[in-house]
Amino acid sequence: MAEDLVLDTAIRDWVLVPLSVVMVLIGILRYFVAKLMRSSQALDLKIVREGQLILRARSLRAAAGFVPAKSFRARRFYYTNEENGLLHVPKGQAQNTQAQMFSDPNMAMDMMKKNLSMIIPQTLTFAWVNFFFSGFVAAKIPFPLTPRFRSMLQNGIDLSTVDVSYVSSRSWYFLNLFGLRGLFSLILGEENAMDDTQRMMQMGGFGVDPTKNLSTEKDGLDIIQHEWALPKIEQRAEQILRKLVK
Amino acid sequence: MVGAAEEARLNRLESQVDNGGGGAWEYLCLVQKLGARRSEKVLKHGLSILNDPRARSRLGVEEWTLYEQVAIAALDCQQIDVAKECIAALSMKFPGSIRVGKLEGMLLEAKEAWADAEKAYARLLEDSPLDQVILKRKVAMAKAQGNPAAAVEYLNKYLEIFMADHDAWRELAEIYVNLQMYKQAAYCYEELILCQPIVPLYHLAYADVLYTMGGLENIQTAKKYYASTVNLTGGKNTRALYGLCLCGVVIGQLTKGRNKDEKAESPDMSSLAAKALLKDYKERSPEKLSLVTTMMKNMKLIS
Repeated sequence: MAEDLVLDTAIRDWVLVPLSVVMVLIGILRYFVAKLMRSSQALDLKIVREGQLILRARSLRAAAGFVPAKSFRARRFYYTNEENGLLHVPKGQAQNTQAQMFSDPNMAMDMMKKNLSMIIPQTLTFAWVNFFFSGFVAAKIPFPLTPRFRSMLQNGIDLSTVDVSYVSSRSWYFLNLFGLRGLFSLILGEENAMDDTQRMMQMGGFGVDPTKNLSTEKDGLDIIQHEWALPKIEQRAEQILRKLVK
Repeated sequence: MVGAAEEARLNRLESQVDNGGGGAWEYLCLVQKLGARRSEKVLKHGLSILNDPRARSRLGVEEWTLYEQVAIAALDCQQIDVAKECIAALSMKFPGSIRVGKLEGMLLEAKEAWADAEKAYARLLEDSPLDQVILKRKVAMAKAQGNPAAAVEYLNKYLEIFMADHDAWRELAEIYVNLQMYKQAAYCYEELILCQPIVPLYHLAYADVLYTMGGLENIQTAKKYYASTVNLTGGKNTRALYGLCLCGVVIGQLTKGRNKDEKAESPDMSSLAAKALLKDYKERSPEKLSLVTTMMKNMKLIS
């Protein structure tokens, strides 16, 4: 193991602190840029209606026992009949979301804006850090770590002899990139702090097929056995009254 | 609907503010949060904040929501001049805002300039056709004009889209009851029961509607729903108890002369309800006990 490296205080003053400050400032700047570019999303009638429909069908499924059998059957027919039931999706009409996305330029535009506000500043800062600060140790963490952490903390330094508790400047950049979320939530308010990790997750999870939800709900309703809960409740009420009268 | 605990808190704060104990802003916030309708108090205390430049500037951006709240309260109290001032201040600050547009529409409504209000709302709906508040305003307007048929029409259109909005279902149910369209009202109450199956008020209202419709089957169902109200309230609901008594009597009359084995269980429930009622009256309102006792005797529920 090599002896303790002595880090120049100039590194602290000119690399460590400026890097963090720049990352924070960029985060704030990006928040305001995103706020400027955000277009209020117009609600689509069909999507709203489908969401509400699913809610209503779900409550019918959950509370089916509380209405008389006749009412339940009427409602089930209303939702699931094959001709014009609300939950029935005719075959072929189930368009896939991919096609829908291409047909709607607004949607693609929104995505692009989101991506632009994420990718551009990130590439720029990464290039900047790489160009000016690559290849040296910028800080030391005050506790020892196992060698597994080498790739995380010493990105850009290919020396196996340096102790793992030293942090390279490029790694410091990454630590800041992913670790400043708490700070942003302090500065910008709780819900505004969107860090990049979250955004990346959002990218993956979009494009759910709404018609699929409808047909699942329809199947769920179809297999329900209606059992009226009221006669049982009546007996329970009788017991309550008996107790009350006593 | 406001829960009992929150209402108590609201009343406490209100008396504190009324007696000059401060906390007006907290009171206004609570009213806003609970959606309570205490327009006179809101108007009084809200104006006292708005007329005091120091207190007003201390609110920061919240100042504008206070303007909105006071404007609505003023409209409710027919203080049209005050409302006009508030709305003017808001539209200076937020020109072209839909939210202020709604207030302007409501101002026209308060002046009973129905045609103008209608036009204003139609213009707003062009921009955002799915605005729930505006769509509900239109219903309210139809109701205020004494035109329940139009209100029903608007509400049905609204519910075609926002079909999970249970407040709208309740409103529709109440209008249908007023119009004596009980079948439709029963449908709405069923929808409400499905939506919130453990709210006793919906069970009770559904039972009332079924009882009013009449017919043996409906009344038997109504009795079950009165029983479930009793179950949900622990027998504390007087109306449900009366309902059980009446259902028992009517079922007894309707099934008279038919086979006896069906009848065997039904009088039991209603006489139990009658006893529970008498006990309740004895505790809470002894001076009316004799009245109720004779009535129950006439109905042959107690001996």
